[in-house]
Formats: sequence, structure tokens, C-alpha cells
Amino acid sequence: MDLRFTETQEILKKAARDFLATECPKTLIRELEQGEMGYAPEVWKKMAELGWMGLIIPEEYDGIGYSFQDLAVLLEETGRNILPGPLIPTLTGTFAILEAGTEEQKKELLPRVAQGELILTTALLEGDGVFDASGIAVKATPQGDDFVINGTKLFVEMAHVADYILCVARTKDGTLPEKGITIFLVGSGTPGMSWEVIPTTAEDKLCEVRFEDVKVPRKNILGQVDEGWPIVELMLRKGAIAKCAESVGAIQTCVEMTVAYAKERVQYERPIGAFQALQHKMADMWTAMETSRYLVYEAAWMESEGLPCAKEASMAKAYVNEVYKSVSKWSVRLHGAIATSDDHDIPLYYRRSKASDIAYGGTDFHREIVAQKIGLV
Amino acid sequence: MDFSLTQEQKARRREFYDTCKELDKQKPPSLVGFEAIYELDECWEYNLHCAKEFANRGWLALAWPPEYGGSGDMMDRVLFSEARGYYGMPGVDIFGVQMLAPTLLQAASEEIKREFLPPIARGETMWCELWSEPNAGSDLATLSATAVRQGDEYVINGQKTWNTGAHRADWGFGVFKTDPSARKHHNMTFILLDMKTPGITVRPIPYLDGSAPYCEVYFDDARVPAKNIVGQEHEGWAVVNLLAGFERSGINEIMTMLRGLEELVAYCNQTKRHGQPLARNPLIRNRLAELACELEAARALAYRVADLQNRNEMSLMDASAGKIFFSELGERFAFVATDILGPYGQVRSSRWAPLNGIWEKMFHEHFITTISMGTNEIQRNIIAWYGLGLPRMR
Repeated sequence: MDLRFTETQEILKKAARDFLATECPKTLIRELEQGEMGYAPEVWKKMAELGWMGLIIPEEYDGIGYSFQDLAVLLEETGRNILPGPLIPTLTGTFAILEAGTEEQKKELLPRVAQGELILTTALLEGDGVFDASGIAVKATPQGDDFVINGTKLFVEMAHVADYILCVARTKDGTLPEKGITIFLVGSGTPGMSWEVIPTTAEDKLCEVRFEDVKVPRKNILGQVDEGWPIVELMLRKGAIAKCAESVGAIQTCVEMTVAYAKERVQYERPIGAFQALQHKMADMWTAMETSRYLVYEAAWMESEGLPCAKEASMAKAYVNEVYKSVSKWSVRLHGAIATSDDHDIPLYYRRSKASDIAYGGTDFHREIVAQKIGLV
Repeated sequence: MDFSLTQEQKARRREFYDTCKELDKQKPPSLVGFEAIYELDECWEYNLHCAKEFANRGWLALAWPPEYGGSGDMMDRVLFSEARGYYGMPGVDIFGVQMLAPTLLQAASEEIKREFLPPIARGETMWCELWSEPNAGSDLATLSATAVRQGDEYVINGQKTWNTGAHRADWGFGVFKTDPSARKHHNMTFILLDMKTPGITVRPIPYLDGSAPYCEVYFDDARVPAKNIVGQEHEGWAVVNLLAGFERSGINEIMTMLRGLEELVAYCNQTKRHGQPLARNPLIRNRLAELACELEAARALAYRVADLQNRNEMSLMDASAGKIFFSELGERFAFVATDILGPYGQVRSSRWAPLNGIWEKMFHEHFITTISMGTNEIQRNIIAWYGLGLPRMR
């Protein structure tokens, strides 16, 4: 047992922190919220140069070949700085391609992902808004060498700038909802596809994506026909841990900003941080951060080692969802009225806590997985 | 980051678990909760029996230097603690083995170490702690019980309180004011005393569930040898604050809760309400899953603390955070479990009590972890002042 970061991880962390401090100021984050794109292509390009998108892609596909745990260390830093953009959706698509892609698909897509040329995202949710297979109604019907997709996907992160959408569609109606699911790699220019950005709490460019007789060649199927659900589960599991790592970083910023403010803000002739009512709340925030941190590190370590960790990933997501919302809420509360201003940085974090909560499954969704895994019948 | 154990550690852990599992079969049914060993004779006997079994394997001296009969390292102590926690196993005297021995190793004279460590390692002497007083709780430095030097002896007068198992203990360790004229923190001495010393009176205090694991101890001209001190005379405060050797991960309590969760899951699977298992009730599923998540978070942080301690490093903040978290998780656990049991959640160990009344017991015993060993409010001060650098209360 050695719960310290490796030297590589320390270097990665430091480089990411320095890069984001200069390249991703809060002014840019606000601009991106207001703008249409939701990410800065010039920053994205530099991220690719640093190897971020290719971090977990093996060297044979022009990636760096680092571990999932190393990725978690990086994401903690992007989370500290609430880096906007399609990094996590692209990574999640990468997880799926690495797991289920054909050699041809890997060779074609992964080097371009690593170079920052391809943005990926996954279209999972629909009108029901549920993360289990019962929510999948978008239909894909075979037609010669193609499948034809019809239906509407919702909450597809950054679909408007994605080069490929991994569309989770129903190809067979069966007894179990998990059977008959197929994943299609749908290129951005494919006729019949249209999108609209949904206004959301975090202004993070979640899209409605409509498929009207969208033809996708069979060679763009990821994995096996009708057997796509385990790949979705893998994306949800890894995506959840990735999102948790990002959240831990964000939680840390909330704690640090609050403690710093409490030391400088003077009321009743002393810094408000001298009052125990606030001290104990900050101690609680710190405790919540630290419990989150090691729970996430444990899940990331297990994922890295290839150990079964569906339980731990869901435990981490269910727990960190609540901690991020709670800690960022208390950050606003302890700052007082000033942090209810849209000009303040803390609300950027508070709003993202809701987005992070929902992404890759909310608290109750993951608690139900935990309930099953601890043996409740 | 590596959470894995070495092959050697895994084998050791197996040994700890197997031994505890065997001993668990002999456990008296009346041993419910943490404190029954002090309360009931058959439980105390069982405690002594387990102590002997552990002593025979050298497990009461884990992470001690070899010259005092020690073996293994801090991680062994953590893994042993984990196994004992899972099986709710007594036999490791929290005061003698866990608190005093590391303190002696760090601060006592060679003579004192040679005299007091071996019987602790052999599981022969049981200890109690004599710190708190009626008017000195969290603010221990304001204590008033005195030890006046007379020749080769200290003459002790005053009162201590909340002394767990003092009525069972052979020996006690405590702090007493030895130099009333000196400034705070330099006026007390850490003294070891035989509880059979004339002039010592022990009275059990009724606890809120009707048991009596705690005592108050009165000193009326009790004479103890002046050589039985730890550290320098008048510098007992520094000794009290030695926590470096004390295993602080909380893994023991966490594993007890994990076993409790497993038993509760089995109960919910087997018990039908409204014609179906309790386990099918979505509210119960959600609440138990929430506890399971928190339990795993507590465990991961415990390993963080253990990993640091094993390297002779210490993060006071993490140790305090862990203590706050697992102890308050214990409160929530007791509330949720007694809720799930419905009217049976109020039944004390008896034929009506599910799970031998453990959750009814826990409804009372959770105060032990939140209030003792530095209240959670003091732990929050530690995080705020020493960790976050916030202004200290004067």
C-alpha cells in the first residue's frame, strides 16, 4: 500500500495546474458559457499537445499509454479549474472504442482523438431521462449494408461540436431491456441528423439530437449488434469515476476559496474565520472532501488494475454527487451575499455540481446499483 | 497510488481473520456492543481469554521494537485491528495495549519500559485511563487532582471521571497536578498507579442505557511510588499529547459497522413485510446503499491514515477527519438500523430482539466514539486551527 502519487502523477498534476492557470482563466469560462461553442479550440489543441486526450490511448495508436489512475489525477486538476469542453465525453467515447472497437476502428479513430482532431460524445438518454436500458427507444433498423436510425436523444454533451456521436439505439425488442441494444458511431455530417442546445444550469451545452432516417453503415457499429449494453455500462462506470475525479478537484477549490475568504473578510472586528460556527462548517467541508478523495482514488485504482469495481464506482459517484453539491452550497453560504452574484467564481462551481451529479448517473441510480451489489435481493 | 497489500500482508490478514473467526465461536451471547466486557463477568473473562490467545501469538506487541518483544509493523496492527473489528473481538486492551504501550515506548525511561511493557504484551495487566475530571473535560489542562511529592512517593488527592472499566483494571495511568505554581501545560505529571492502592475508590456511573461501563475514581491520600512516572516530572502534558504511536485509522470501528451492514442486509432479505422482503422496499434500499457508500468512504480514508502512520508520518487533519466521519456514521447507522427494525428497534437483547439487540445497543453506544478520544467538536477545532490555519480561539 502506498497512497501517495507516483512521480509521473506529480509531474502530470503540476503541468496541468500550471497550464490551466494561464490557459483557462475564469474570464474564458464565462465567455464559453455565453458563447455557442462551449469550448476553446485553441486550448483544446494545446491540450492535445500535452497529450491529455491521448493519455490513456496505447502508444500503438499514437497515445501516451498511461493508466486510468493517471487520468484521474489529471481530471482532478481540470476539475479544480472547472475546465469546460468535451474532454470527459471524448474520453468516455475513447473508453468504449478501446473496449469494443475493431482494429480498423481503433486505427482510424484513436490517433486522431489523441491529436485533438476528433471530439466524441455519447447519446444515451432520451425523454425518460433514465440511465438504464429501459429508457432506450431510439430505433435502428437494418437496411442492406446500413442501419437507419430514428428518434430523439437528449442531454447529449457537446453534440453540436462532436465529430462522432456514439448513439445507443435499440435494434431488437426483447424480454430484457438490456438485450437488443447497439452502439453506432455516427459522423457529424450524416444527413438526417440535427441538434439544438438545451439551456442548462451549468450552460454546458447539453443537446437534443434528432435522428430522422439517419443511415449508418454496418462498419460503424461499435461492438456487436444487439450486444451493446455492457459497453454502455463500462462507459457509465469509467465515466462516473472520471467525473468523480473532476468533482474532487472542484470540491477542493471550493474549500480553499472559502477558507481564504474567511481569513480576510472582517466582521465584528475579526476575520469571520475566527468564529467557530464557520470553523466547524469548514472542517466539515474539508472532511467531506477528504472522504470523497480517497473513495475516488480507491475506485480509480481498482479500475486501473482491472479489478471488478462496479460497486466502488457507484459508491464513489453516489457519494461525491452529494458532497460536491453540499460543499459548493456551503461555500456560497459562508461567503454570504457576495457569492450569490453571478460575477463571483463560487457559483460557477455550485452550478456545475448539479451537472456533475447528473452526468453518468445521479445519486439514486448509483445507490440502486450499490443496493444490489451489497446483496439486497 | 496503490491500495494493494503484499502477499505477506495478505497472509497475515488471513491469519488475523481466521483466529478471530475461531475465537468468535466462543463469544458469550451476552457480549453485545463495545462495552459489555466491562459490565458482565462472563464477558470480562472472555476478554481476558482473547487477550491471552492474542498474546501467545505476539499480537499485543505489534509494531513494538524487537527488544521489547515486538514484531511486525504498523500495517500489521491495522490489519489485526480490521479483523478484530469485523468479528467484534475484545482482547486488545484499548488503554494498555493501544494507548499506553506506544506512549511508554516513546516517552518512558528504560526502567519503566522494562517493568510495564512485558505484562501488557503477555495480556496480564489490564489498564484504565485517568484523565478527565468533573471540571476538566476537553479542556484537560485545567485539571485539579493533585499528586504531592513526599520522599519516594506521590500522595494523590482528587477525583477523576469517565474512566472506562476502572472497576476491572489492574493499573491506571493518569495526569495529576504536581506543581500548582507552574504555568499551564507545565504543571502536571503522567503517573502510573496500581488500582489496588489504598485510598483509591472506584464507583461505576450509570450509563444512559442502564449499563455501567464507566466509573468515577476518587483519590484520598493514595500513595504511589514516585518512580512510576512517564516523561519528566511536571511535563505530563507533553506525554498526553503523544499520539504518534496510537493507531488512529478507525478501521476497527469501521469493520464492525461493515459486519453490522452485512447482518442487516441478511435480515432485510429474510424478513417479510407487506408480503415481500424488507429488502424490496425502495426506501430501505436507498438508505442502506447510502450507508454502504459512506462506509466505503470511511474505509478508504482509514487506509490513508494507516498508510501515513506506517511511514511514520501523520496527518492530524486526516486522522481528525476520519474520526469525525466514522463516529458520526455510527450515529446515522444506529438511527437507520433501528428505523428499519420498526418497533423491534427498541428491544433490548432478549427473545424479542432481532440481531441480538445490537442496534438497540448501538442507539446508545455511538456516543462513545463521538465524545471520547477528543470530542468531534475538538476534532473540528484541530482541523480548523492546525489544518486550515484559521484563527485560534483564545
